[in-house]
Amino acid sequence: MSLDLTQLASQIQDMADRLKASERDKQEHLSHALNLLQASNASLPSLKDKVQRSKTTWLIAGLGEGLNLAYSPPPVPSAFTIIATDGSHIDVDRHGPLRCYLINIGSARLFYGKEPKAELSSQATPYWEEKELRLINPDNSNQQMNIEGSLLAARRSVAEAEAIAKLVAETSGPVLALLDGSLVLWNLESRDTPTFVREELLDRGLLPALASLKARAQSQNIALACYISFPRNTEVVNLLRLALCPYNPADCDAYCASKVPEDRACDSVARLMDRDLFAQILEPGQRSATFTSPSRIMRHYREHQMHFFYLQVYGEIARVEIPQWVAQNPDLMALTHSLLVDQCRLGQGYPVAISEAHERAVVTNADRDQFWRLVETALSQRYLPTTTSGKRQSKRGRWI
Amino acid sequence: MPEHIGEVIAAATTEFQVQVYELHNTPPLGSLVKTADGDVKIYALVAAAETGSIDPGRQPIARGQEETDEADLFHHHPQLSQLLRTTFRALVLGHTTQSLLRHYLPPRPARVHGFVYLCPPEEIREFSQPLDFLHPLISVPGQDEIIAAFLRRAASTYLEPETFLLGAGKELAILLADQPQRLNALLKRIKP
Repeated sequence: MSLDLTQLASQIQDMADRLKASERDKQEHLSHALNLLQASNASLPSLKDKVQRSKTTWLIAGLGEGLNLAYSPPPVPSAFTIIATDGSHIDVDRHGPLRCYLINIGSARLFYGKEPKAELSSQATPYWEEKELRLINPDNSNQQMNIEGSLLAARRSVAEAEAIAKLVAETSGPVLALLDGSLVLWNLESRDTPTFVREELLDRGLLPALASLKARAQSQNIALACYISFPRNTEVVNLLRLALCPYNPADCDAYCASKVPEDRACDSVARLMDRDLFAQILEPGQRSATFTSPSRIMRHYREHQMHFFYLQVYGEIARVEIPQWVAQNPDLMALTHSLLVDQCRLGQGYPVAISEAHERAVVTNADRDQFWRLVETALSQRYLPTTTSGKRQSKRGRWI
Repeated sequence: MPEHIGEVIAAATTEFQVQVYELHNTPPLGSLVKTADGDVKIYALVAAAETGSIDPGRQPIARGQEETDEADLFHHHPQLSQLLRTTFRALVLGHTTQSLLRHYLPPRPARVHGFVYLCPPEEIREFSQPLDFLHPLISVPGQDEIIAAFLRRAASTYLEPETFLLGAGKELAILLADQPQRLNALLKRIKP
């Protein structure tokens, strides 16, 4: 018995009881937030001005055309293609016989119209050479970072974007290219992340892939969108927090650092998420206004700065992130909106192309074990050492 | 050489499983198919077919409530043809070695990924005379529908189908002399 469920059961009951008790508070906060949203929309210029001048400890969405707008989906074109890529990886196992990792990219290219067809595939690549296992500062080879953990996740995101750019290059429009999850590589904005890492993953990785997509976007009617199901973002709610702040400009550290949470004016909406707000505003199929991503890493994205909007699809509020060149092109926005709603309709509430790309990409625990067995077999056939850690052997054996 | 209709995906001495290349396009029940193991041609009867998900973890769901035409459903979900597959089970009846037809099991099972062909009428005629293949088929319970289906299909390749069926009926009467009810049911199924 690894997990004592009887021990847990009463704690889970208690958790649910307390959540139930706080539900009424949440509804009150939501009602308050919606009133505030209408009021803030009426005084948009002054709110924009406050955003510009304030210093907050939370990220605030960049304002565009409005806060509470809702757009219905345009008609779906008669013929179009949806391309999606998704990735999985096997991280470096420090207990394994060989230092290596694997990236598996699944893709789905679905052609709709008079001659419908589907192409589903996957490409698995193991990386084991020294130059593939770490990023090295070209100006100072003493500075290196191992590609594993969050850095490998970022590298996988780049691989997904590169794969979709390649598929789009071989396809005529109209095309909607879809990625699962955000392309905002926020973990690269950490102060601990050296510049050469950001340059390698962004300037020589993601941005060239986005540039390739942009180059064909306008002439071929090709849009790119990143789809985030069940988003937990709060950037739009944070706009309301700013509107509530009695200080103008706001400065969290200067005015509220010593206050306990719940004492600040902005706390009356603080526990809400953007999706709670837009669930009240958007009808099925409708999208919100677009906002700009406030992530600090955006200053390095150049003309590919990410914008976002929320979409009501089949009972869920999804977040859709799009590069600036899609957000500022009404035709590409219309294509993105109409085809995403259509994909969710076909996929029972989730874009069918992303779902199929995911199915091709997924690496199960059994696959992971099989991969390491293949590595060990190949090494032992060549009389290479296959030594693994005692910990790994203990986990495999599980003897009594 | 005719075009192959599918590939062996699992093989045993007495039967093999075939995946057809075109979804839903399985040969009719009782069709005679063949595959090769080197110089040995292996003959088998299409016994049971099914269409389902390629991935056992993903089951098909109903999707067509808003469609007026079944074909539209596949047009609107082009990925379905990649996610489903049609397979059939083929019962091994005989083989050829050194160009001689043998109405008994081959020395080795069919090869996985071996191509599978539908036998043309002349080969069905050649295979169905003599009627020796009936004996091993009859001895396996639950195959009467398949025996009847094959006999009806084989009869259609003859200039005088009734003569062939009459001969088959007589052979069955000998083989099932002690099972009159079963014989009766089978004869009803092959009655011209």
